[in-house]
Amino acid sequence: MYGSASTHDQPTTATTGLENEDPILLAEFEARIARGEKIEPSDWMPALYRKQLTRMIEQHAHSEIIGSLPEGTWITRAPGFRRKMAQMAKVQDEVGHAQLLYSAAETLGKTREQMLIDLINGKSKYSNVFNYPTPTWADSNVISWLIDAGAIVNQLANAKGSYGPYCRALDRICAEEAFHLKYGHDAVVHLATGTPIQRKMIQEALNRWWPAIMTFFGPSDKMSVHTEILMRWKVKMASNDECRNQFLDMYVPKIWEIGLTLPDPNLRKNEETGQWEFTEPDWEDFKRVINGDGPCNAERIAVRRAAEENGAWVRRALLTPKMQYVRPLA
Amino acid sequence: MIHSLDPRMNRLGLPDAPATAAAKEALDQFGTYEVFHQKKEGTPYVYVGPVHAPSADVAFLFAKEQYSRRFACTGLWVVPTSAITVTAYVGDQESAYDTLPLLPTSQAPTPPPIDDTAEEEAAYAAGEEDYDVFHLKKRGKAHQHVGKVRASSPADALQVAKAVFGEQRPVVNVWVARSADFLRSDDEDRDIWATTPEKKYRDAISYKVQDRIEKFKQEGLGQTEA
Repeated sequence: MYGSASTHDQPTTATTGLENEDPILLAEFEARIARGEKIEPSDWMPALYRKQLTRMIEQHAHSEIIGSLPEGTWITRAPGFRRKMAQMAKVQDEVGHAQLLYSAAETLGKTREQMLIDLINGKSKYSNVFNYPTPTWADSNVISWLIDAGAIVNQLANAKGSYGPYCRALDRICAEEAFHLKYGHDAVVHLATGTPIQRKMIQEALNRWWPAIMTFFGPSDKMSVHTEILMRWKVKMASNDECRNQFLDMYVPKIWEIGLTLPDPNLRKNEETGQWEFTEPDWEDFKRVINGDGPCNAERIAVRRAAEENGAWVRRALLTPKMQYVRPLA
Repeated sequence: MIHSLDPRMNRLGLPDAPATAAAKEALDQFGTYEVFHQKKEGTPYVYVGPVHAPSADVAFLFAKEQYSRRFACTGLWVVPTSAITVTAYVGDQESAYDTLPLLPTSQAPTPPPIDDTAEEEAAYAAGEEDYDVFHLKKRGKAHQHVGKVRASSPADALQVAKAVFGEQRPVVNVWVARSADFLRSDDEDRDIWATTPEKKYRDAISYKVQDRIEKFKQEGLGQTEA
């Protein structure tokens, strides 16, 4: 999990700064991408490309770290030893993904120190869905299955993007995700095919999470700002609505097949257009929460900050004077 | 104070609106090491990514956790990022060796003779060392170990590598690093790689969810509802 395709604050045509770039280098850069070659860290790249990718990969990394908190909190209370082991393994994977992604972002020039501090100070965003609570074990299962499923839709698309280090990280991440998806599906099916109390528990969790899931891929293309140039540079590989539609196509049938319902009376597939129709998510609420006013924003950041600060003395003790920083290579 | 659904969070007594955190000091996250793994015995080592670590030993432990936790692995190398010398990156159809400075024929290295112990000893005595050589065959893929060369400096190592491996195409990028700078897993410690098969709960195939769905459908939807 947990990357969502939409980076917040995308550029408008007025702010691309392209007029300041060397036209010959820009043409070579675009030709390389057009013939399907990847960009590697030491290549020339437009400032906007570097900025957008840094922001996108950094947000993805933060989403992995913060996203592991709501599931991590359920490790000790997961029903049974096997589920505890599996939940722990999954959470460890997510934190490992953050490590891979921070390194990929670092190849673009932003230090890990700066990224970590920007997260703690609320300067960098992460996937908005993690600002909601997981009051029951079933809520954790809904994340494991459906948030991961959404993230996989994004990550498989982004793995075909143009930046080499991000592709390498995503290939590894996608390979590890196969287990998460099956694990999450298994956990949801277990409750959905279980006792009436278990069925009620998973249905209620799904109802709680559905509005957040519908916003996972970011605002509708209708209101989304100009992304044409990011598509051409293969920074963004699919539009928010395309990702959302693909997700609904793949997972709504799987939700219905186990007798669960979705809390949107307008949700249906238009067989003529192949597009799903649904009640427009509350984007004002989405904006409010992403800007800090959600039920768990303060807690998520505070917990991350405590971990960071509690480990500071260990890092200081291990620091050797001859150590030097060199940007990772690839 | 932060109020969480998790009592352990509440016990931390975290403040609601903390002051802005101060910028981190340089090297708070340490330097980096680059990591190579071997998926199967007898196959070449392949680049998997970096780790941040305070020393080579810790880098090895982090790398083992990060890169061999989930999939088969039979060996691991770590080397400080600063120890690697990197050529220019070229296009997917080209060779990075073509970007090296051209040496006059008289100075161009010849591939060292194999198993010539006397000559080898003389070279080492004269200050030559072994270097490991890695090629990137395609942009976006990973560097792969192609072999070792003996040389007197990283620049020399690249020239010798060109003489030995220069015929291979395409070579988008070359890395060389002194062999002595690597920390490598020992053959006699190979038991440390044997843990993956014990963790079946980490494999997608150990979740037989479809059986349960089919059974549920056969019994009829909603039968279990109160």
